[in-house]
Amino acid sequence: MPKNKKQRVGLRMDMTPMVDIGFLLLTFFMLTTQFRPPEIPEAQVILPTSHSDIKQPESDVMIITVNKDGGVFLSLDSQKLREALLTKKIEENWDKIDPKIKSQYSDPATMAKLVPSFPVQISDLSDLLMQARIRNPKLRTIIKGDREADYGPVMDIMDILQKVNITRFNLLTDLEMQ
Amino acid sequence: MGALEGGGERQSAVMAKNKKKHRKKRIGIRLDMTPMVDIAFLLLTFFMLTTTMSKPSTMEINLPPTETKVEVAESNLITLRVSEKNEIFWNMGVEKPEKISFDGLRKLLSEKLQANPKLIALLKVDRKAKYINMVDILDEFALTNINKFSIAPMQDEDKQIIEKLGG
Repeated sequence: MPKNKKQRVGLRMDMTPMVDIGFLLLTFFMLTTQFRPPEIPEAQVILPTSHSDIKQPESDVMIITVNKDGGVFLSLDSQKLREALLTKKIEENWDKIDPKIKSQYSDPATMAKLVPSFPVQISDLSDLLMQARIRNPKLRTIIKGDREADYGPVMDIMDILQKVNITRFNLLTDLEMQ
Repeated sequence: MGALEGGGERQSAVMAKNKKKHRKKRIGIRLDMTPMVDIAFLLLTFFMLTTTMSKPSTMEINLPPTETKVEVAESNLITLRVSEKNEIFWNMGVEKPEKISFDGLRKLLSEKLQANPKLIALLKVDRKAKYINMVDILDEFALTNINKFSIAPMQDEDKQIIEKLGG
């Protein structure tokens, strides 16, 4: 009897259902994942938290980022719009742009097409916002401020929004866990 | 040669027949699926770990256009001021402002709203205060169902009022 025990029986389990579920999940995650373009490091922010549960709209958005040092960045989700608005700005400032960022793009037009967010001056903002709204009236404005940011730049942006008649806008926050 | 070739042909024809017969007898093919399944699970874990399910939420704000001016009865107005030291002061109408901690704000707001359902909030934040204060207070407005609020810039008078109180 002890000898018999040592003779292991090749155990064959039917793995088909597990593999099926595995592939199902794989397809699900593959289809739901959307890859975000890598954000330039200066425009990365830690969002404040709130209890609001309105989700960020997916398309037709214009995001104004305020980082913790008060720098302002504009990002548009539509490539066409980005190209139309930013090409001129980038051409003007081509020499001033950080060479590290610049080296990724061959010329101003491609940079305008591909750059995830572009640093803007508050003085230029009203002009850009107005042009963007003319090109796409459905555009929704979102302010994405860092939790460490001062209120000053945000206040300036809200003033500009009010001046260009964007009276409805959103503040981006993370959901507060409580 | 030709005859031989012919014989060869015949032979091959016979072989083909035999093969056909063999083909009809299907052999259960067992393909080793392990590597494929391994790759599939590898991809699965990759996508599971890189997916961020939670999209950031947003707070919606409506500001009146610059031209419009709304007259508000002072008795309905609660003013909240945030100083550059991130302290919160509140007052009803023209009363004297009082300091309040952020934790006590929710209770205060809901009490005031219960006492006066027509309550309108006015938020004034100092330029040097932190942005998160504004978000937090707006969030408190939303939680206490104060739907009518406005955001105004902090004037010098407001700063003086707060300074007098030691803010």
